[in-house]
Formats: sequence, C-alpha cells, structure tokens
Amino acid sequence: MPDGGWFGYQPNAGPFYSPGTAMDYWALGVQFLGLASLISSVNFIVTIFNMRALGMRLLRMPVFVWMSLVVALLLLFSLPIIAIALFMVTFDRQFGSLFFVAEAGGDPILWQHLFWLFGHPEVYILILPAMGIVSEVLPVYSKKPLFGYPAVVFAGAAIAFLGFGVWAHHMFASGISPVAQAAFGLSTMTIAVPTGVKIFNWMGTMWGGRIKFTTPMLFAIGFVAMFVIGGLSGVTHAVVPSDWQQTDTYYIVAHFHYVLFGGSVFGIFAGLYYWFPKMTGRLLSEKLGKLNFWTMFTGFNLTFAPMHWLGLQGMVRRTAYYPPEAGFDFWNLVATVGAFIIAAGVLIFMFNWWRSKKHGEPSGMDPWDARTVEWTTPNPTPEYNFGVAPTVTSLDDFWHKKYAEDSEGRPVRRPEAENTLTDLMETGINPPHPIHLPAPSYYPVLLAAGIPLVGWGIIYHTSFVGKLLILVGVLVVASAAFGWSMEPLEEPHDEHDDSEPSGGGYPSAEVDA
Amino acid sequence: MEAAAAMDHHDQHESTGIDHRKLGMWVFLSSEFLFFGALITNYLLYQGQPGFARPYPAEIYDIPFTSFSSFALLMSSLTMVLAHNALARHDQHATRTWLLATAMLGSVFLGGQVFEFTEFITVGGMKLTTNPAASAFYMLTGFHGFHVLLGVLMLLTLYGISRRQGELSEASGLNLELVGLYWHFVDIIWIVIFTVVYLLASVPAGVG
Amino acid sequence: MATHSGEHHHPTPLQYVKIAILLAVLTIIEVALFYVNEAADMGGWDAPLLIILALFKFVIVVGWYMHLRFEDSALSKFFTAGFILALILYAIVLLAFGVIALGG
Repeated sequence: MPDGGWFGYQPNAGPFYSPGTAMDYWALGVQFLGLASLISSVNFIVTIFNMRALGMRLLRMPVFVWMSLVVALLLLFSLPIIAIALFMVTFDRQFGSLFFVAEAGGDPILWQHLFWLFGHPEVYILILPAMGIVSEVLPVYSKKPLFGYPAVVFAGAAIAFLGFGVWAHHMFASGISPVAQAAFGLSTMTIAVPTGVKIFNWMGTMWGGRIKFTTPMLFAIGFVAMFVIGGLSGVTHAVVPSDWQQTDTYYIVAHFHYVLFGGSVFGIFAGLYYWFPKMTGRLLSEKLGKLNFWTMFTGFNLTFAPMHWLGLQGMVRRTAYYPPEAGFDFWNLVATVGAFIIAAGVLIFMFNWWRSKKHGEPSGMDPWDARTVEWTTPNPTPEYNFGVAPTVTSLDDFWHKKYAEDSEGRPVRRPEAENTLTDLMETGINPPHPIHLPAPSYYPVLLAAGIPLVGWGIIYHTSFVGKLLILVGVLVVASAAFGWSMEPLEEPHDEHDDSEPSGGGYPSAEVDA
Repeated sequence: MEAAAAMDHHDQHESTGIDHRKLGMWVFLSSEFLFFGALITNYLLYQGQPGFARPYPAEIYDIPFTSFSSFALLMSSLTMVLAHNALARHDQHATRTWLLATAMLGSVFLGGQVFEFTEFITVGGMKLTTNPAASAFYMLTGFHGFHVLLGVLMLLTLYGISRRQGELSEASGLNLELVGLYWHFVDIIWIVIFTVVYLLASVPAGVG
Repeated sequence: MATHSGEHHHPTPLQYVKIAILLAVLTIIEVALFYVNEAADMGGWDAPLLIILALFKFVIVVGWYMHLRFEDSALSKFFTAGFILALILYAIVLLAFGVIALGG
C-alpha cells in the first residue's frame, strides 16, 4: 500500500495512517533538496544582479536569464514555507508533536495551505525556464528578434508574482470559505493574462519570419501549441463549480501533463538540442532529432489527450481498480500505447546523444546564426567561458555584430562579420590575459555528505545508531562548513591582474530594476 | 552564500556596486521572513484554540524572565554594532572584546531558553506532545534558538581567528559585517516573537 | 564603491548607545503595557500598541544597526519585499482560518 501522494496530504501521510519510514525519507529528502535549491537561488540572484557583463543592463539580458532570475526569486520565497511544513511533518512523525493530528486539535488543512503556498509557485518554477528557452529558440530559427521583448519579460515576472496569490485553487474541495473560493478563482483566472501575452508574443515572433524547422524549433513550436491546450484546461479549473467536478480526476492529470510535459519537457528538449553544441562542440543528428520529436509528440498526445475525457467521465485518480463496466478500458489502452511511444522517443534521444557526442557533425562556433552572447565563445565552451569578458551594447548583441539593416529593415550580413567571428574564436581559445579560476574544493562535497547522515539519524533517532549518526553528521557538516569558510577564496594576486584591461572595474551597469 | 562567494573573483566587479556576499546575505535574510512567518502563523493558528489539553503556552509564560532574556538579546545588537564599529576604527582589541560580549549575551539568551523549556516541561507540564499550541511554541522558539546558536558559533569563530592571527584582516572585516547582519536579523525576529508570542498570547475563554 | 563611501555616514558609538537606550525604554514600555492590560483590561487596545512598538524597534534595528538606511536602495527593496510578501501571504492564511477577521 502506498503511504501518500507527492503532496503528502495530512493526516494520511502522518504517523498513524502511514507508519514505517517511507514518508520520513520523503519529508527529509525534500527538505534537503529544498535547502540546496535555496542556497543556489541566492547564488543565482547574486550572480544575475551583480556579475553582468559590461553594458548588460537588465533589459538587455536574454529572456532565459530573466526567467532564471524570476525562478530564483520564486524559490527564495517559497522554499522556506515548505521547509517549515516538512519540519512539522517530521516533528509529528518523529517527536510526537500534534500539528496535523485532528484528534488532539491539529488542523490538516494547515498542511494544505503551507504545501500549496509552496506548491503553486513551484509549478511556475518548472515552467518559466522552459518559457525562457522557447523565447531564445523561436527568434533564432525565425530570423527575427523576439516580438515584444519587454512584454515577455514583464509577463514572466507577472506570472511569478501572481503565482504567489493562487495557491488555494488546489483546495477548492477542502471546504474553504466561499469568499476564499471566489477570490482564489479570480486570481487564478488573472494568470491567464500574462500567459496569453507570452503566447501572442511567440506567435508574433514567428509571424513573417523565415522559419527553419530544425529539431529545437519543432520542440519550441510543440511547446507553444501544447501549452495553449494545457493553459485552456487550466482556466477551467479556476471556475469553482467546474473544479469540483474535475478535482482528483484524470482531467487534472491531463491538464498538468499538457503544461509540464507538452510544456516544460518539450522546452527542455528544445534547449538540449539548441545548446548541445555548447557542451560538446558537435550537433545532435537532425534526422534522429526529428524522429525523436515526432515520436514524442505523437506518444504524448496519445497518452494524455484521452485523459481529458476519461476524467470528465469520472475516472478518479489514485485508484487501483476500475471495473470494466465503467467503460474506461479503451482509452486507457490508447494511453498505455502512447506511453510506450513516448518511451521510444526518449530512447531515440538517448541514442542520439550518445552517438552525437562522439560522431556528431562538428558545430563550429555559431551553428544556428544565433543572437545572444553565449555563442561568441568556442564550442565546447572552455571552463573559463569567455577569453575576454564581452561588452554588450544592445539586446541580441551578437546578432547586431553580424547583421546591419537595409532601408526596409531586413537584416544584411555585415562584410566584417566573418572576421568578427574569427577574432572571437581566437580570443576564446587563446585568452590574451591569463584567467584565474577559483580553486576547486572538497569541503562542499564533505558538507553534503554529512547532511544525509543527520537525516538517517533523525529517522532512526530512537536507536543508538541513530543518535550516533546525528552526532557524526553534525560534526561532519560543522567541520566542513568551518573548513570551507576558512579556505582562501582566491589565489594570491600576481602581476597579470594589474595589467588586466578591465582592471578599472565594470563601471556599474545601470540597474534599472 | 558560500557558492556565490566562491565565484567571487578579484577581476569580477559588481554590476550593482554592492559586494556579492553582502547582497547574498540580504537576499537570504529576506527569505527568512517567510521561514519565521510560517512558524509564527502556525503558532497564531493554534495558541488560542479552545478544547486543547492543558496547559496552553499563555498559561505558563514567565513574562519577567522572558523579558530579561529578550533584553539580553536586544543589547547584544548594541555590542555587535560596537564590534563592527571598532573594527572600522582598526581597534582590534575593542573588536575582540565586543565580539566576545555579543557571544556572551547570545549565550545568556540561549541559557535562558534552556531554562525556560526545562521549567515549562517539568514544572508547567507543557511538553511538545501536550497540544498543537505547545508543539507550535516549541518549534518556533526552538528554531529561533537554533539560529541564535549558529550566530554564537560564528561569533566565537571570528573571535578565535582574531585571537590566533592577532587581528581581523580586511576580508574578515566583511565576514564580521555579514555575521552582524545575521545577528541583528535574529534579534529583530525575536522582537516580533516577544510581542506576538509572549505579550499578546491569550488563552481561550473558559480556560485558566 | 557604495559600501565604503557610505561608511562615514554611519553613526558613532555614542549614537549607537543612545539607540540602545531608546530600544531599552521601548521594551520597558512594552512590558509595562502588558501588566497594565493584565491589571485593567485595555479593551483590545494593547495589541495595536504593542505591535506598533515592536515595529518601531524592528525598524530602528534594521535601519541603524543593520545600516540599511545607509545602503543601496536595492537592498531595502529586497528586504522589504520579503517582509511584505510574508505579511500578506500569512495574513491570508490566518484570514482563511478565521484567526483574524476583516471588519471585526
């Protein structure tokens, strides 16, 4: 018998209904992952705000970087909430606290609030990076700048901001007050506005462009199309009475797979095909790539489209057995076949990756005639990234270094473009000044190794071994943290640094936030 | 923060003009509001609900005692800022003294919390497992205490470095500032807790 | 850099001590209010007063001891964002539970 779903609803996932250790591993595992994400979100925010190239104003940043920033902010503010909620579960299960124990006056609905306060921003954490990737890929293969760049950026930020105010739409069936239902229904519908803005901007980007249907482009277009379907079914849940019919049925499963598989996963695949040359210096096979896309696209729709009507017919989730007379069999068979087709698509991808890593066509520096500065470094990218830190003068800086406009606004390749590329390649491979990278350190690995020791110790804290594990884990974490913070951050200065052309510092790129 | 710091390299300059690690610390602290906010919400939800097993936290609070330990923590913010000020004036001796004083005041607070918990459990009869309000009380003040403990350890580390090296270098100066930010933050959280959890606590009608 | 140029605006040790005395006085008023309310019910007026006093202390420590008022405004924006977000989100949760109510 399974102990609980991924959202660990209380009291089902509590000590009484889920004895044993499974939910403890779940609670502490998610806790530690959350800690890691929190720390990296701080890192991302500082990096993006503070370590931009010269001239890289906030509104010149690639949309993918923007969306990474927004996601980091979402993580920063939502993870502490789930951290507390998970601590409460762990305390209830391990130390006998009574947060969710209804017999003692605890309130399981509190868990739902705290969980979805995190859980809803979390779904935007999953989708926004994919939206960023698609916003990079579509302009490149349409040979046009992103339509309405500032609108796409602000829509992303607006989705994140509104995303904090809609959590209770996951709880319409839990008996929250009619006022709360109306308010959260409305706030949920408003999310459709910035999302629609993005969809129209992506279509505007493709409109009138010279579209090249490469694999990344196919995945990106697939993303837009599938996400629209998922978005539309999403709005139907915002209508409370309709949600009461849909909640905990396969209709919900269909919805979130259209946004998270047809959405996020397709976006990630677009990114993998697009940036594979940056990792390896080679291209993934286009033939296999197209096969990969069409297999996954077909399999995906076969699997998840039937769940719409299965759910509306009343097929509920988390049930082990459906009687044949319910009439769900045929479309479930179709979904099963679809799932195997998806698996075939993923296998094709894995084969493509494995083969192209060694035998793929060499990509050169700029295989896609790209627009953004990451394509001004050699492929695969050296560990120091840029031989000389770039100076950015506009949005799509790399494109404007290669192309001018004719009188009708059509791009014309600059005669000096090839020389620019050769120069960039040269400085990328042979940096004019030595580049110092921070010395690698073993302490982070040691610290990370100590954390699960503490976790296991907590789960088995009643035994001697458990207590010992906690003690050892705490000592490992503490000494690693101490060693890490005492480690010199950088090697001593040497004479090269003073001659660095950027020695005067990046005069602060304006922060127009 | 450590990760951001590790990427800090002397020819990387700050686009915003704010030191990377300092920006990282403020960013982190702003997320701590959500952390303590959840704990306080949890406590506020349960503290006045009728029908729980007695005692409620508000029945057994010892306000004079908690006022005293809160005062110690409040004044540790003064000694912390004086340590920072002394280092800015290159007065290494005074820096060490104030660092130690801050750690001591922090320890007084922690000692007070240990005493309070012990009293509540043994004399007051309120354990973590007594009722949800008690669970919420211990979890909130316990996590705050854990933050204070980490702060004391960091202060003592700075003190130890200063003793061993005879001084705190420029780089450690920033560390002191960061530890100071963390320390003051833990103090302001307690300012809120002292008012909301202790002074404004209530017991449901018909109890006590 | 902004962090260093701001340094000389920082309060002097004497000012820090004065701030601490103010904080101490505010704390004494808080505890006194608590006992006044114990002795003679203030009809619910203790809560807003105590919260204002706590906020006052909070702002003083953040502004002066944490130097936020002498720092780049980006930092205060960040910090305030976290504070306001927490306040709003948890107020909604407490509203949903009926722990706090709109319009009494």
